[in-house]
Amino acid sequence: MSLRRVIVPATMTGRELLRRHVAMGLLTGLPLAFYICSVSQGPHHAAVTGGIAMAFSVAGASIFAALTARPVDQRLVLAGYRPFELLLGRLLFLELFGVVISTLFSVIMVLGTGPQHPVVLGIGVELVAAISVPFGLAVGALAPHELEGVLMLIGVVGIQLTLDSTQTIAKLLPFWGAQRVISYAVDVTAWTSVAPLAALVYPSLLLAVAAYIAHARAPAVRSIGAAT
Amino acid sequence: MPAPGVPVLEARGVTHSYGSKLILDGVSLSVNPGEVVAIVGENGAGKSTLMRICAGLIRPDVGAVNVQGRVGYCPQVPGLFDLLNADEHLLLLAPALELSERSVLEQGHALLSELGFPVGDASPTRYLSGGARQKLNLALALLGGVRVLLLDEPYQGFDHGSYVSFWEHVSRWSAAGLGVVVVTHLLTDLTFVDRVVELAIPRGPVADFKVT
Repeated sequence: MSLRRVIVPATMTGRELLRRHVAMGLLTGLPLAFYICSVSQGPHHAAVTGGIAMAFSVAGASIFAALTARPVDQRLVLAGYRPFELLLGRLLFLELFGVVISTLFSVIMVLGTGPQHPVVLGIGVELVAAISVPFGLAVGALAPHELEGVLMLIGVVGIQLTLDSTQTIAKLLPFWGAQRVISYAVDVTAWTSVAPLAALVYPSLLLAVAAYIAHARAPAVRSIGAAT
Repeated sequence: MPAPGVPVLEARGVTHSYGSKLILDGVSLSVNPGEVVAIVGENGAGKSTLMRICAGLIRPDVGAVNVQGRVGYCPQVPGLFDLLNADEHLLLLAPALELSERSVLEQGHALLSELGFPVGDASPTRYLSGGARQKLNLALALLGGVRVLLLDEPYQGFDHGSYVSFWEHVSRWSAAGLGVVVVTHLLTDLTFVDRVVELAIPRGPVADFKVT
């Protein structure tokens, strides 16, 4: 696989997405709004709420990228792209986007919250962003339209925000591992050794789902003279 | 180049349903190199579904499609990114077609200018007229050298001049050896084609007749 077949789709995903100024402004403002609104309830609550709300931003952008590309992807695969190359390109840009905004947001949260482990807080928020991309791509692959995709996003992230991280249901949701890492950054008693593992395994599974759906939906590209 | 007499596109016994609704029932279609075939039929007769099956976008429930070479597919609704411009669409296709940036832009600009698209217009496709979007849609389908061209009502939004010159282009493409399939509702179009395939409701044998 040539790197160009990933870099070019990544670049075009970036151009398409970053030109949506209003949507991008709203998406990046969301976690900040959640953080500011929860500051009065204590540093632990504010850090976890703000950190997990990062998922609205990055997963929202990922869902949007996946859904707007769906009708174009058919043409691109017919022209010769493999579905996985398009997915990888999108993943590359969105992860970079996630790193940039989660780094900026981590700085704001560290300055505003004064956590015991500022670096760990940053890692936790970066993990939320990193998980959000495959989560958004998987939702974007599963949802028939933007409305359903957004409702799935609100449902999962909303429930993760509402539940205490010690509850069983919370452990089944994608952002649990990152939630525990953020908790540890502000409260050392909250450490769970499986949290980083969960934060790595979950996105791999979600990416596999997105890749499977992209492959299943791909046009049946035929070699010369081959039959469908 | 396929041997003379070997169809560039051959669909045999294609049957397809959406849920319990039968759309195509044992449809066969054969297109020779240099032949222009029109597909006609009422709304819901399965014209677009047949095109999508021939393009490989959906798998038929029953039947098989043989294609010689690459298929260019121009959908009824242009598959374009709203906020990318024409050149960015061309550049996006370059790696897939194994073309350099320079050659994809050269080929693309030649096709676009042939179709009367304002080459050099850097507006995102969202701000283009319906006709201009459709011309870009058509140029993207032709890019990279195709043997079969599937056009699903490709002139939506075209003005009269563009519509007339579209058929001149079809004639040029078929003279170059491309097999061209056009879905149409317009009876006047049938004077420009070699053969007409009519998909009927209720489903039954497909009427396939030569235009003289």
